[in-house]
Amino acid sequence: MTQPRIAVFARLANGDAAPTRLITGQNTLLGRTIHGLAYDPTRDEIVAPNALADAILVFRGAAAGSERPLRVIQGPHTHLVTPHAVSLDLQNREILVASLTGRRINIFRWDANGDATPVRVIEGPKTELGHIVGLAVDPDRNLLAVANTHEILIFNRTDNGDAAPRGRIAGPKTGITDEPWQMEFYQGRIFLAASNHFHQNLYEGVTLRPDAKEVPDDPWLNPILGFMGVWNITDNGDVAPLAMIRGPFSGLIHPVGLALNPKDGEIYVSDSVKNGVLSFLVPQFFPQESPTSNSDGRRSK
Amino acid sequence: MISKLGAGCALGLALLATAAALSQTASPESQSSKPAPEDIPPIRTIADPYPAFNGIAVDAANGIVAMSDPNRKSLLLYDRIRGASQGEASLPIRQILGPDTFLGMIAGIILDPQREEIYTANNDIEDTVVVMPYGASGNVKPRRVFSVPHQSWGLALGNVADQIAVTVEVQNTIVFYRRQVKGVEAPVRIIRGQATGLADPHGIYWDESHNEIGVANHGNFRGVVKNTGGGCAPSFVVEDEAEAGESRPPSIRIFAANAKNDAKPLRVIQGSRTGLDWPMGIAYDAQHDTIVVANNGDSSVLIFGRNSDGDVAPLRVIRGDRTGINHPMGVAVDPQKGEVWVSNWGDHSALAFDSAVRGNVAPKRIIRSAPAGTHTPGFGNPMALAYDSKRDQLLVPN
Repeated sequence: MTQPRIAVFARLANGDAAPTRLITGQNTLLGRTIHGLAYDPTRDEIVAPNALADAILVFRGAAAGSERPLRVIQGPHTHLVTPHAVSLDLQNREILVASLTGRRINIFRWDANGDATPVRVIEGPKTELGHIVGLAVDPDRNLLAVANTHEILIFNRTDNGDAAPRGRIAGPKTGITDEPWQMEFYQGRIFLAASNHFHQNLYEGVTLRPDAKEVPDDPWLNPILGFMGVWNITDNGDVAPLAMIRGPFSGLIHPVGLALNPKDGEIYVSDSVKNGVLSFLVPQFFPQESPTSNSDGRRSK
Repeated sequence: MISKLGAGCALGLALLATAAALSQTASPESQSSKPAPEDIPPIRTIADPYPAFNGIAVDAANGIVAMSDPNRKSLLLYDRIRGASQGEASLPIRQILGPDTFLGMIAGIILDPQREEIYTANNDIEDTVVVMPYGASGNVKPRRVFSVPHQSWGLALGNVADQIAVTVEVQNTIVFYRRQVKGVEAPVRIIRGQATGLADPHGIYWDESHNEIGVANHGNFRGVVKNTGGGCAPSFVVEDEAEAGESRPPSIRIFAANAKNDAKPLRVIQGSRTGLDWPMGIAYDAQHDTIVVANNGDSSVLIFGRNSDGDVAPLRVIRGDRTGINHPMGVAVDPQKGEVWVSNWGDHSALAFDSAVRGNVAPKRIIRSAPAGTHTPGFGNPMALAYDSKRDQLLVPN
């Protein structure tokens, strides 16, 4: 929309801070529509999608300026269609990609490069995949959570082809309405930026839909606030979040981006209306690794 | 404009049902003056309190320069001959800002001096072009709003054709509407297809003296043109074939003004000699018969001959530390004063240069939306985040 880039800020940056470095420029092969971003601490790499070139770009962690990616996954064998978001399964060494308009999830080996064939593709009518953005993998339970249209779908991690979801977190108690966005996973819990903005597209491609009659209201003014919510990945049905951040003091209006820092007990959330990044200190949201923790991440009483 | 209830979208009903349920289950705390337990304030917030300039347009006849501001979601109009002094923020003549304005993540902007109207493209989410009268100020409703495809970026006005041209990034398309368009109307024509070579188009100009249209392209290409968009899912059609995306070199493509469908461009400026690096805004300078390009990637302004074709070097380049050019988004030409205006995304400024300059020269005037030296986060709807645990840093894409 503006300048395609990845801006890097010190964790403690506050106010109208300047980035410490920028990854930007033609050589980066970046474009707009980066709706998911992942950092791989084991390889010190940054993984970003380019929806407008049907590509996945992998940069070195210290990349700066107009630097070329280390690897580019792009080409007809990739089956990428408008890849909006990426997520990593560090344990199984895989890159997961949400191909939004393709309504499919492509899974690649983490060292995939060039016109690579995905190791698995989840797609088809049984999947119920629609507007997919956030993905989160639980490698211990072999589960995959997907932020889909107006719900969270749970698949088996190794599902392939036209697989039906094994679980669904949806309904009024969840608070999720429209377009749940970035999702992260930690210790049995999924963390979701539930944007709850209401985007209506009157066009299919550049063709006006036959039922398009009037200009919709501004989606940013949707009075239903978005929030950051936490669920157990084993939850199923109309389940309220275990924990959430929502309300006027939080500053969240329609949150979209989300990142976790369990070590410091912090959650980072970007908000489209504020056009900013907010940091929350919520160590209580992160289950501790201890013998008293149940397998589903809930603390024993 | 309609309410969400009247949108005819099944999802709207689900939305309202959820809203009702949420209100019914609201905790007692949420109904008092005390914050609800989940209403946790942030410990830090990175945001820019000042307007950030994206597009820029000049109306020499009426003496104004106008900028689109997607950061604070506003339009700003300034006196084009008054610059900032001593590094203070410049005082706009008017700022259009507020929930009634329908302004959001706006990109391209054009002025219609004859009818005294401002056009700006809501690039993300709203998918509209907003038309304001010159006299608009504060939180006012637009004179007109019309729907456009998602990711519309650049705008150009053709007075003879009486049409508005709009570039659409993800669709690799230029759509044309009748100038008086209002509400929901189908385009009167489009330029789209393999022969066009359009690839993530951004800025566009309409040169009526030569009946040409020029378009700046980033080079992102999605292969088969069949994206059906999104929004009120799941009504859109699944794309079941791989698209074979490409990362092509950036280009300037010049078409006949009346081109349509899969038209081949008259000329293409593309290749390593061009120096193109994410070309954003673009303008035609009639005085010098040149094409002026905001070259975002390397913080420069490139000037090509109008008839340039192929892998050619620019006639002139404005670049260097004295210029103050910092990741420019827009350019505009003031033929009356013989000036080129440049809007910077990298800081809070717009710069006026003599339109004949080259090299590392200082601007004649500067308009600032914040005091000089103010930090610039530079966010443009950051819809994802990552945390670099190795360096203790946040990664924020636009």
